[in-house]
Amino acid sequence: MNLSHFQTLLLLAFVISVAFAFLSKRRMGDRGKYAVWAFLMFLLVAVAIGWLMYPLSR
Amino acid sequence: MADAKQKKPESSAGNAARAWGATVAGWLVPGLGHLMLRKWGRAAVYFLCVGILAVAGLALRGNIFSSHESDAFGVLGFLADLGAGIFYFVARFIENGGPDVSHAAGDYGTRLFATAGVLNLLCALDAHEIARERKA
Repeated sequence: MNLSHFQTLLLLAFVISVAFAFLSKRRMGDRGKYAVWAFLMFLLVAVAIGWLMYPLSR
Repeated sequence: MADAKQKKPESSAGNAARAWGATVAGWLVPGLGHLMLRKWGRAAVYFLCVGILAVAGLALRGNIFSSHESDAFGVLGFLADLGAGIFYFVARFIENGGPDVSHAAGDYGTRLFATAGVLNLLCALDAHEIARERKA
């Protein structure tokens, strides 16, 4: 199996978001909201850190 | 009233044994601790989450640390991997052609498997808290 960096990030973000939602919330509605929020934050923060490091790679 | 006071230490000891049983079972097989506590949905979700990460880590040919690591990072990696319970033992048994961290995917696999282990430890602690009735 071979995954790109972004595909690995998507997999990790999705699984961790769902697990954290079930660990920290009790109602299904709250879990859904939390999972979506955590997933988007994972992506946003990872992309933001990637862009912050971009000048260092040149 | 007096009966209730006399029964409390026994019930507390039973509760502690049940909590530790659920914790160890949850560590050994992800979700089993919750299954013992009749939390069917959470048991399935935790098993799938830990399983997906562990299998992906193995399929990407990540490094599965052994107990013979010489440096501190290796020992930490071993402890994180060991957290995956049965997935760790199966991964060590299968070996899957050995790790290949010469490519980026192999390195991602190492991290995914370690994440599965740490996540499973969190789930086992969750089962402990539920059994102790500190959490619903």
